[in-house]
Amino acid sequence: MNILNFFQKDKNKPTNIVPVNSVTSRTLVLLIAIMTFLSCLTFGGLILVKQSATAWSNDISREITIQVRPIEGELMDANLRLAESIAQATNGIADAQALSIEESENLLKPWLGDDLNLTELNIPRLVVVKLAGATKDDLEKLKTELKVIKGASLDTHDAWRTQLNNMATTFIMSGSFIFILIVVATMLAVVFATRGTMASSREIVDVLHFIGASNKFVANEFQNRFLIMGLKGGLIGGIGAMLFFMALGLFSKFYLTSDSSEQLGVLFGTFSFSLFNIIAILSLIPIIAFLTAITSRFTVRRFLKQIAW
Amino acid sequence: MIEFNNVSLRYGDGPIILKDISFNIKKGSFHFLTGPSGAGKTSLLRLLLLSLKPTSGKMRMFNEDISNLDRDRLLQLRRHIGIVFQEFKLLDHLSTFENVALPLRVLGQNQDEYEENVTELLNWVGLEKNIHSLPNVLSGGEKQRVAIARAVISRPDILLADEPTGNVDPELSERLLHLFAELNRMGTTIIIATHELNLIKKFNYPQMQLNDGGIIIK
Repeated sequence: MNILNFFQKDKNKPTNIVPVNSVTSRTLVLLIAIMTFLSCLTFGGLILVKQSATAWSNDISREITIQVRPIEGELMDANLRLAESIAQATNGIADAQALSIEESENLLKPWLGDDLNLTELNIPRLVVVKLAGATKDDLEKLKTELKVIKGASLDTHDAWRTQLNNMATTFIMSGSFIFILIVVATMLAVVFATRGTMASSREIVDVLHFIGASNKFVANEFQNRFLIMGLKGGLIGGIGAMLFFMALGLFSKFYLTSDSSEQLGVLFGTFSFSLFNIIAILSLIPIIAFLTAITSRFTVRRFLKQIAW
Repeated sequence: MIEFNNVSLRYGDGPIILKDISFNIKKGSFHFLTGPSGAGKTSLLRLLLLSLKPTSGKMRMFNEDISNLDRDRLLQLRRHIGIVFQEFKLLDHLSTFENVALPLRVLGQNQDEYEENVTELLNWVGLEKNIHSLPNVLSGGEKQRVAIARAVISRPDILLADEPTGNVDPELSERLLHLFAELNRMGTTIIIATHELNLIKKFNYPQMQLNDGGIIIK
């Protein structure tokens, strides 16, 4: 089915008893579109943070670092070679490589600028150690053996990983709270819009009652109307959010400097989603449409119960 | 078919509109409901339409004690009653065809089921050329006929009409009354609230006359 024909009126289909196109309806569709956009953005953001946090955590857990501080009278390069050798000789270590001066400069460039010259600075150097099933005892042994090098220490990234997990959990919980607030705000807006529509459609409700329509029939008519509005608004907002993520991805790829883009990538990944994640984000569209319809139905049923005999 | 025993009606703490009225209306009868403005004609029609509850007294319709029925049952019974309002109460965004078909949609019929009946009825009331027109392009008389067609499309047992000739010229008023008479001959019980003495004299059906909250049938 052509999606553009989806909302077009079928000539053989009876007109909606509750009119769909009114100023209130258009405003509500816009509101639902904005709320869906924000929901998708929040949800997408949560997915990105979760993805990045998992990736960080995995990366960090596969690596440890030996830090060699500069100490007067000690030869830095010799100490780095020795640290590499000790690490490579330890059980459960796949590889150990000291970062070159250029690699160290690249790490610090985003914070200290392009004119950085490490030879002028007395800073510690790093040996990146890749793990391959090293146990706690292996790492303890490595730590002990590194004591022969003055100024060397082993960083297993545990503190960093704990902080990272805490930060990710805080992000996800805050985002989830914001997401719930957006959904609740959308539902409240639907309640007010339904009440407004009921008030402006009072004559329709009266006529329907005069000809014997049950409350269920009337509620169905309103529910269908709000389902259509929810789908329209949801589609606009959902597609808008996906376009926004695509635009953000392209922006970070083509317009940000490579360093900024890299740092953003480290923080949030590459603004790219798997097919599963795209489906998860777009599933908000029918969910919001369904919630809109159900909310309007309950509001209508409550309104109709208040009408006298 | 309709039995009122000492029925009274007042809105909230307001004055009594109908006071201890009692009457019986047989199936297939035709009555004019008359009385001065404010006598309670519309209120009595609303009681008969089951959209108002009597303040006191017993009302029986369709062999059921109306006073004790729940809302759902009342709505079901209302499907056996057709109503024509003085101000038509057509839905402005629906065409003539769709306005008339509304009671059938409420009954759960789809367009294939009701299309022929609605078209035939619109031909019968002389609106075949206005079948797709919206109410805002129809004249008062045409709107009145749409309202009548809507009221009778589901073949109700009772047809109520509130000043159905109030907005139309004398010639059309008479034609509408012939239409009601025709429906009555088909077995529909009809009660028409009207001020128009000429029509009452000409058609000579019994009158239910409301005055000072009471009712006289003559």
